[in-house]
Amino acid sequence: MQELVGRLTALDPEAGEGLKVIAYFDALAAGGVGIDGLLGGAAVLAGTVAGAEVQGKVRRRDPSGARLDVSPSAPRSSSRSGPGWSVWLERAERPHANDAMVVERLALAVEQVIARSVPDSGLDILIDETRSSTDRVSALSRLRLDPATRVRLIASVPEDIPSNEPSTLVPTNFGVLRATLDVLGDRTLRSRAGLGTWERADGASASWRSAIIAFRLTDSNVPVVDATDLGAMLLLAEAYDPRSPHKDVLALDRLDARTAAILRVLVEADSIRAAALQLGMHHSSLHARHDSLSRELGYDVRTVAGRIRYGAAELLRRLTDPAALQQGHSTGQDVTGSSHR
Amino acid sequence: MSSTIPRPPFDPELEAVLALLADQIPPTLTPELIPVMRAGMVTPSVDELIGDRPVSYRVEQIPGHRGDPIEVTVFQRTGHSQPGPAIYHTHGGGMILGDRYAGIEPLLNWVEKYDAVAVTVEYRLAPEFPDPFPVEDCYAGLVWTAENAARLGIDAERLLIYGASAGGGLAAGVSLLSRDRKGPALIGQGLIYPMLDDRDLTISTQQIDGVGVWDRGSNITGWNGLLGERRGGDDVSIYAAPSRATDLSGLPPAFITCGSAEVFRDEDVAYASAIWAAGGQAELHVWPGGFHGSDMLAPHVRISQLANEATENWIARLLGA
Repeated sequence: MQELVGRLTALDPEAGEGLKVIAYFDALAAGGVGIDGLLGGAAVLAGTVAGAEVQGKVRRRDPSGARLDVSPSAPRSSSRSGPGWSVWLERAERPHANDAMVVERLALAVEQVIARSVPDSGLDILIDETRSSTDRVSALSRLRLDPATRVRLIASVPEDIPSNEPSTLVPTNFGVLRATLDVLGDRTLRSRAGLGTWERADGASASWRSAIIAFRLTDSNVPVVDATDLGAMLLLAEAYDPRSPHKDVLALDRLDARTAAILRVLVEADSIRAAALQLGMHHSSLHARHDSLSRELGYDVRTVAGRIRYGAAELLRRLTDPAALQQGHSTGQDVTGSSHR
Repeated sequence: MSSTIPRPPFDPELEAVLALLADQIPPTLTPELIPVMRAGMVTPSVDELIGDRPVSYRVEQIPGHRGDPIEVTVFQRTGHSQPGPAIYHTHGGGMILGDRYAGIEPLLNWVEKYDAVAVTVEYRLAPEFPDPFPVEDCYAGLVWTAENAARLGIDAERLLIYGASAGGGLAAGVSLLSRDRKGPALIGQGLIYPMLDDRDLTISTQQIDGVGVWDRGSNITGWNGLLGERRGGDDVSIYAAPSRATDLSGLPPAFITCGSAEVFRDEDVAYASAIWAAGGQAELHVWPGGFHGSDMLAPHVRISQLANEATENWIARLLGA
């Protein structure tokens, strides 16, 4: 009879029951329980109010399972957060032994729910070049796009959630990026973004490919890069295998920051004298550096061909998989392309 | 023993609760474990159960089966003056365990909310007191309640009977007795996952075997305690095992609730069906993924909340002004 077990009560405030907490939340996650159920479970275990905020919506539940109103002033004693979400326990006194573990496992479970609940708009299929054209046609109709509509994809960080446009999270060589569909061309860009080329909707995968390249070229100085601005360089970038760095790329990557800066100025300046002025170096010292760099790289960046070669290598370096760079250095490839140990 | 027929799944939130309580769920109850289980069932004191509700209580001695003295406890709201509705409670515990305070909490809420009087009876337990002691003690308590209605502040025409598990079976049995003995009149019978059938023949008894809180093996222990060798045979009255009744006409409206993954599912559903077949009134809820007593074990879980709300809803319709 039910009286044999009594009622589920909160964990001992003093005794750590990490394994039980993990087993409990693993079971909830495996069962596909939603955020309300996760919060109810957390509240019962902890014996206090548990809350979550997901994309602006706040939910709070108490240990009896009751839903509570929003209360911004309630004390949050333990919390965790991620892009667009946060979870917490509300306790006025000091945290109990299992609070941190409860919040941690609750956070993981909530993340899983969020990942599952991203609506499948079909965008992920549309931009996937490995999918068949039949799949893409059905994705187009789900997105209510005419195949000929001009669209572009925008690559950004996952946290940059658009308010209206379809978007999806895509694993890439450089981590998970957010792909957002842009039709009107008027999207406000909040943080780093790579803008893909404008393509027919049924060729959107090409736009996404270019958007990733553009995103890779962004940095704190240049937060937004438009792939269209790369011109023909885009062809080079698209042909490049990020996992297989060219020796020119490895050579540049090997340079320390100061040397790389010198090289950059040498490329851009009108003359060695002007470059020396900019770098605060004596022009004959800079001449000497220029000569040794040319030997090291195998080309002279102050020639027309050398300038182009440097530009290409710099572009491709920004697009290379960091792990591949490590790998390339450790196999001891030198500028002549021959390996030696 | 392992089940041979796959059972319906437990609700995912309840699965997690079971994972958490894995080491606390008691094993199948065998006869030798009865003393251990009885010792282990420590109910909080009455004052703890009442908490800060404005409810008072007193214990009275009353005549049970054969006139033997048994006890009841009467709960009423502070300041209760007008005669009002009453809930007569028969507690659960497989016929062999528990006391009259087991499972009393919802009734304390209703005493406060509806200004109802609650009477809970300490019927004598099997196997020491086999059938018909438990159901006859319960019936005697109901008779006493009706006869003392005025003194207890009860309107004798607003009396309902309520019990869970074995208590639900006893409530059904007492309802049959009151029909056949022409009184006392009842306005409703609340049968919460009631234990109605000693025959161990249903699909659900086969499915819930070695799993959950009250499984097939425990159920047989309970029924054996109550009926001894008569269990499953031809010599069992409908008052001991209401599922055996073939005529369920003339009964008070029934509220029956159970989980889809508990031993009592099939007999509970059959009982409601038989009431309807006889032209009677019954409300039936089968909660998907619920196991026996899960609504009390884990009330915070969504499916438990729905179950408890449904019960509250029925009580409100019956007792609300």
